[in-house]
Amino acid sequence: MRDSLQTLSRSLLGPVGAIVAVMACGFLLVLAVSDEPVLAYRDLLFANFDSRSNFALFVNRMTPLLLIGLGVVFSFRAGVFNVGGEGQLYLGAIAATATALAFPHAPGPVLIGLSLIAGIAAGAAWGWIPGILKVRLAVNEVVTTLMLNFVALLLTEYLVINGMRDTTAYGAVSYVLAEQAWLPDIPGLPGATIGAVIALLLAPLAWVALFRTEWGANLRAAGANIRFAEAVGVRAARQVVIAMLISGGLSGLAGAFYVLGIGHRFEQNFSPGFGLIGMTVALLARVHPIGVVATAAFYALILNGAGYMQIDADVPRSLVNLLAGFLVLFMTARFRRGQAPA
Amino acid sequence: MSEPIVVPLLRLRNVAKSFGDKVALSHVDLDVEAGEVHVICGENGAGKSTLMNILAGILQPDAGEMLLDGKSVRFSDPIEAGRVGIGMVHQHFKLVSSMSVAENLFLNRQPLRFGFISDRRVMRERAQTLIARYRFDLDPDASIAQLSVGQRQRVEILKALAFDARILILDEPTAVLTPPEVSELLGVIADLKARGRTILFITHKLKEVKAASDRVTVLRHGASVSTRPTAGLSESDIAHDMVGRDLATPRRRAGGIGSGAPKLSLSGLTMTNASGRRLLDEINLDIRAGEIVGVAGVDGNGQTELSEAVAGLQNARAGAVAIDGKDATNVSPHERRARGLGFIPEDRLDRGLCAGMTIAENVSTDNYAARKLTSCGLIRMAARDAFASEKIRQFDIRGARPGLPVGQLSGGNMQKVVIAREMEKAPNVLVVAQPTRGLDVGAAEFVHGQILAAADRGCAVLLISSELSEIFALSDRIAVMYRGAVLRVLDRTDATEHLVGLLMNGVDEAA
Repeated sequence: MRDSLQTLSRSLLGPVGAIVAVMACGFLLVLAVSDEPVLAYRDLLFANFDSRSNFALFVNRMTPLLLIGLGVVFSFRAGVFNVGGEGQLYLGAIAATATALAFPHAPGPVLIGLSLIAGIAAGAAWGWIPGILKVRLAVNEVVTTLMLNFVALLLTEYLVINGMRDTTAYGAVSYVLAEQAWLPDIPGLPGATIGAVIALLLAPLAWVALFRTEWGANLRAAGANIRFAEAVGVRAARQVVIAMLISGGLSGLAGAFYVLGIGHRFEQNFSPGFGLIGMTVALLARVHPIGVVATAAFYALILNGAGYMQIDADVPRSLVNLLAGFLVLFMTARFRRGQAPA
Repeated sequence: MSEPIVVPLLRLRNVAKSFGDKVALSHVDLDVEAGEVHVICGENGAGKSTLMNILAGILQPDAGEMLLDGKSVRFSDPIEAGRVGIGMVHQHFKLVSSMSVAENLFLNRQPLRFGFISDRRVMRERAQTLIARYRFDLDPDASIAQLSVGQRQRVEILKALAFDARILILDEPTAVLTPPEVSELLGVIADLKARGRTILFITHKLKEVKAASDRVTVLRHGASVSTRPTAGLSESDIAHDMVGRDLATPRRRAGGIGSGAPKLSLSGLTMTNASGRRLLDEINLDIRAGEIVGVAGVDGNGQTELSEAVAGLQNARAGAVAIDGKDATNVSPHERRARGLGFIPEDRLDRGLCAGMTIAENVSTDNYAARKLTSCGLIRMAARDAFASEKIRQFDIRGARPGLPVGQLSGGNMQKVVIAREMEKAPNVLVVAQPTRGLDVGAAEFVHGQILAAADRGCAVLLISSELSEIFALSDRIAVMYRGAVLRVLDRTDATEHLVGLLMNGVDEAA
């Protein structure tokens, strides 16, 4: 108990300290470019809570980051550097779209269920490819996941154009889904999709799976030291593939939620780089599923807040990119106290 | 009164050093006479390396004084220590592997032309002179990467000597060497002594203490407990000082060893590398219940491959492995363990443990089901901690608690974690590779006791070790490996160190 409390406080100290430091640095920057630095900063941090609709937008922004971040936690914990979140997200989105469009007259719950399953399955399949290649042929997963992102972008574009393109809209955009396929909103928070609640519930589940089951212990052992895992009889290759299935599945779910809950259709380039941000979110959380909730929320907060800031105080929203950069810098820095004994 | 009072070359009084609240050295006195070979020995964690790092200027003492030639000295860094003639050869070499021997010798003090261009010709000549003076077998132009471990060590020694070191500190110099290289090193030390250098030599191998030194100082728990001339001391006297008690010698029960059908049997086991070279060459070996078969050999003659082939971690090209009479040649490590195989690998931090995970996690791996540490799929944390605590007590794992990352333990205690995990399932067949490598005598005694106890329970033990004394102390039969093949299997009663030593070098007199 003492140990877990200690680890918890130690794992919180770093991120919180880093975020405070980033905000301080950011304020200096805003001070330099704006006449109304306080207003700008208020917008950046608190405008998300000004109205229910603002808050709903924040929730919707957080959901894919949280899900992809959780997925990345699984793959990283299994020692797989999965940078393919974006591709898995797109595959999930297109599969959910295709499923929902294929059965326009099915009842809502069935349609939503099928579409979500299709999204998860497609994302998982997209994660399985690099996983199996790594295990069977020792192909580096960074290369394959990165490459598969491009394949996914072009493949989904092709599928939309050749089969479900809404010709009344501009670009590679699918037909709008039948209304009964739309995810319900969070009660009392119109515009915020219920997917956020599910994503929030999945975080503690992921923690339990990774840290409170033998399966999770074996997965982490395979990730931390695969030679050890093999020697003690862990089926390490299988763990790696399963981790990639989960990782891809969670990203696919993020795509399905986006389509069913927010976009209601597949749009090319619907993601502003959720895959990459999701990976940053996981890394900043020190690859911890509970920490991912905090970092995903923080990222969603400043991503949306930057928009309000630009409108009100004329501070360019690209400030947020600077802040994100600072955050990575401060989180990866290790401040050493004294010298360790030799 | 006619004789002048001899001032020791180096004298330490009451030296102490702490890291935070951890006391590394509490009270060390040391006198080193000019021209002697002085061994510092002690168990792991006794403070040997801390002491040497203080002498070499890498660490600064919290208290006490150091006298060199009777004058008080204090070094703020290794360069200052080097200036007054103290040179250190580290256990882990500090060499640039892409550079040549000469370049490494003169790193940061190259002879210069016109004051700024490095003069490679002069540097090479000086390196050559230095090598010739000490009769080392080195090529000044060879790059470090091409050299064997023993040769690299000689480059390190030369580097210290090139600084005109009067006192040469060798930190566990034999830990990385093969037996022939060890005897060469001992020759080098004797030669340096004949040339008037003073040598401080850290080791915890008692044999080397006897072979190399004039005097020996024993450290225990951060304090110097004795300094005595080596002549007339026995290994057990030194061991007694190191651990503070007498050590039991491992004892094999006589007669009735190894009965019934073989528990582990290897037939024609062959393994090749990518280029087709035979790493294992048709190995045939049967081990019965209660029998310990020791595999002797110079490192790199196929022992690692043998252990991994039996554990199922590398695939054999030909031949068969049978556990308990059932073929297991194409069976996964997971399944082999289910059939009663235990494996203590040669490198604990590689295959033996996951350094970043806790002691509880490491010791519970593969034991969850047997010890009912889960319920409804969830780990029962309290039960797992209790299990880990039980093992910590039972195996006397020092400095441990269940939630501590296992990598923070000392080597001997890490090894105990590995053994605790592997012994938990009371294996039928145990593969043990280099079980006491890097362990001090106290921990080694414990490990030996565990291996003997396993055999007494009826386990078939394959013991792989490059320490001949270990092989002789524990084995019922001794198999000698050379270039991937088992040259001969001897009964321990028929084996002599001489015979095994010859076989290890590929000389089979009977053939």
